[in-house]
Amino acid sequence: MKRNLRFSSYTLPILALAFAVAPVLGNNPLSRPGLLQTMGVAFVYGGLALTYDLLFGFTGLLSFGHALFFASGIYFTCILINHKVFVWWLSMIVAVILTALLAAIVGASSLRTTGITFAMVTLAFGEAGHVIVNRNFFNLTGGENGIALNSDRVPQFWIGVVNTKYLYWTALLILSFVYFMIWWITRSSAGRVFAAIRDNELRVQVLGVNPKNYKLLSFTIAGALAGLLGTVMLLLAGSAAPRFASADLTISLLLMVILGGAVTRWGAVLGGVAYSYLTTRMQDFTQSGSLHHLPKWLSGPLSEPSFSLGIIFILVVMFAPGGLSGAFYRLRARVISKK
Amino acid sequence: MDTFILMGITGIGLGALYFLIASGLTLIYGLMGVLNFAHGALLTVGAFAGLWFATKVATATNTTNFLLSMIVGGLAAGLIALIAEQLVITKLYERHMDQALVTVGLALVIGAVLAGWFGNDLHTYPTPLWFAKGIKIGTAIIPADRFMYIGVAIALLIGNWALLKFTRIGLIIRAGVENRTMVSALGINVKRAFSAVFFLGGFAAGVGGVLVSIYSNGVSPLIAGSYLIYGFIVVVIGGLGSVPGSFLAAMLIGIIKQYANYYVTGLGDFVVVLLLAIVLLVRPQGLLGRVNS
Amino acid sequence: MTALHVNDLHVRINQAHILQGVSFTVPKHKVTALMGRNGVGKSTTLKAIMGLYKGTGSITFNGVELIGKETFEIASSGIAYIPEDREIFSTLTVKENLELAARKSTKQSAYEQIYALFPELQSRSAQRAGSLSGGQQQMVSIARVLLNENEIILVDEPTKGLAPKLVTEVADALAKVAKNETMIIVEQNLGLVKRVAEHLLVMDQGRIIYEGSPEKLSDPEWVHAMLGVSGGGAH
Repeated sequence: MKRNLRFSSYTLPILALAFAVAPVLGNNPLSRPGLLQTMGVAFVYGGLALTYDLLFGFTGLLSFGHALFFASGIYFTCILINHKVFVWWLSMIVAVILTALLAAIVGASSLRTTGITFAMVTLAFGEAGHVIVNRNFFNLTGGENGIALNSDRVPQFWIGVVNTKYLYWTALLILSFVYFMIWWITRSSAGRVFAAIRDNELRVQVLGVNPKNYKLLSFTIAGALAGLLGTVMLLLAGSAAPRFASADLTISLLLMVILGGAVTRWGAVLGGVAYSYLTTRMQDFTQSGSLHHLPKWLSGPLSEPSFSLGIIFILVVMFAPGGLSGAFYRLRARVISKK
Repeated sequence: MDTFILMGITGIGLGALYFLIASGLTLIYGLMGVLNFAHGALLTVGAFAGLWFATKVATATNTTNFLLSMIVGGLAAGLIALIAEQLVITKLYERHMDQALVTVGLALVIGAVLAGWFGNDLHTYPTPLWFAKGIKIGTAIIPADRFMYIGVAIALLIGNWALLKFTRIGLIIRAGVENRTMVSALGINVKRAFSAVFFLGGFAAGVGGVLVSIYSNGVSPLIAGSYLIYGFIVVVIGGLGSVPGSFLAAMLIGIIKQYANYYVTGLGDFVVVLLLAIVLLVRPQGLLGRVNS
Repeated sequence: MTALHVNDLHVRINQAHILQGVSFTVPKHKVTALMGRNGVGKSTTLKAIMGLYKGTGSITFNGVELIGKETFEIASSGIAYIPEDREIFSTLTVKENLELAARKSTKQSAYEQIYALFPELQSRSAQRAGSLSGGQQQMVSIARVLLNENEIILVDEPTKGLAPKLVTEVADALAKVAKNETMIIVEQNLGLVKRVAEHLLVMDQGRIIYEGSPEKLSDPEWVHAMLGVSGGGAH
């Protein structure tokens, strides 16, 4: 049965534990602030990719506006903290609640449509959000340069290069929490309805279940969790910036999920972490000068991360649509059947 | 009254640009069900190809050379579109979601190649001097290039109409948009029609790319992104698959955006996006689109 | 003489095993009727021949294997298809619907023959096909097939959903067309089948359960047992 093909259910907690312990385990790459920062960001994107996967891979909803909720978490938190509305932890909680509300409202209107139309409506809402933060509406959202977080109003153990490992741990903790939530939801009876909606919405309706409510539930949860991840991103980045609200970000979420494998949870997280890590590393690599001995027509494109990403993405979509996790399972099945 | 005329005509000029971008998108989607995210990259290809012609082959300071450079841009973009279609899209026949995803990948790759070769800075596109002249309509003074855009857009609209109405390939496309399977059952190789449509869509994007660069005061890979989003918005509001619908929607959006931006800078983007949400919630098939059967 | 030979055809649609080993022969220049209750796979069989569904097994036409070929190749090799639900192009005019079906080999005389058979199509040639009545649309669907020299014509429930008077008109037209053509016709209307069929196939649950002479149709008990209907139906 399928049991042979799944991860042992201890693999992921063990992995998480390993990542958690590494920074204090002597002199390894993860004991240095540079990599800790990179991985912290990667964890956030891993979680974000997972929330996107809840929508796309599990419920079959292709949204182009998911960045809106991530940015909402970031911006609300930043504004509430900077303007001394609430203390930092309450600001975060309120930001997540506001994001959940936003997701519910956007979801309620967008879900009146389906398919490509739904994708376009969510794109529209996402772009509206992008425009709002970019144009400094009500003088609150900071315009093109965003808003720097007032670090005096935030616990000091998160501030400063020396304390990067606390940020790292926070990110890992939140990622684990998000993973657990989504794992729990997708295994629940609601989660089964999500999957049923993805596979055959008509059948769900015929069975007397109203798919709209479940879609809205999925949309709201995904949005709220994205907002939560946003609060962590704010700490890691130190500021709120319009790029967090852009359609480009949502597209990269799509890439992450496809690369990692849309139907598995750990695949989506892996896609997110790998993508984030690789893009950061690639920026360093391309700036390092090792490409300079290549002819110009080659080194030009190669120094753009999206070149390699695009090619990998095309290859994955064409030849390995299940992404990394799909390939893993296929390989595993082949190894097992040979035993 | 000045403002009214100025906004109206420049709005239509902007709408013309949007139409050029949207027409290819909507035709490709209507016939093949493929949402082509690489369309923006095709805009940039056209712009750079046109720029090359306009600077290295025949300086586009006179009108003929400019028009030629525009056509060169269109042909280059059409060619790239065709190559992409043959290499990649056809391999994913009937896998619509995957086709759309692959175009995302293509957009990244083509964009990266162009950025890698030419950088992100603006390159000036040589234009005939009369583009900057002001034309007096009533008491308003309107830059002449706006009329150029409108002229090209109308030419495209008419060309598209003529193609669809009078040629065999146009007949096949019209039938194919409605029922692709039945067209095959009549013994017609629809795939050739697909390739033609992809090429034509790319051509329109390339021409659009040249004009968008003039409007934006330079050629750069960074410009295409926001125009692509507007292209999608126009396509959806006009009705997926309907070229006349795109024309109507493009004009509407161009005018609304100009007016909104005049009163509050930046409001234009927001209003258009709001318009999209409203249209979709009230009439999901768009202005001239057909309700899904 | 055999026009078409189907052997052990299996077709699966979304994991449902619709055709479970269909085998039959279609004789040349005769009308073969394919009958059976709703949902047994009759339309699917025609569609599989046209390549609209992918199947395994063998479909041989003039010695050429059709399975694996593209629909347009199958169609242009001489197999014409009049689908269930007509499927004419509603945004095109009547004339354009016909022109679309025309090939390089189509003769002008073919148009004249069609207009002789269906005079209404000539008078309405500039009308948008979507505004035609069901019966008129069916005529377009039949007419466009007649523009070319076909070796086999596949017809899928041509009288479905038509009022009795129209059923007679369409039946008349088909009967005229059927003379000397090789035709496979899926039809529930017993009267029409009795009128034109020279070879009979009955399907049940994805398999052929009878292949032979249509004389059996005159036996009401046989008809009831095989098809679950009484032996009536307008002609």
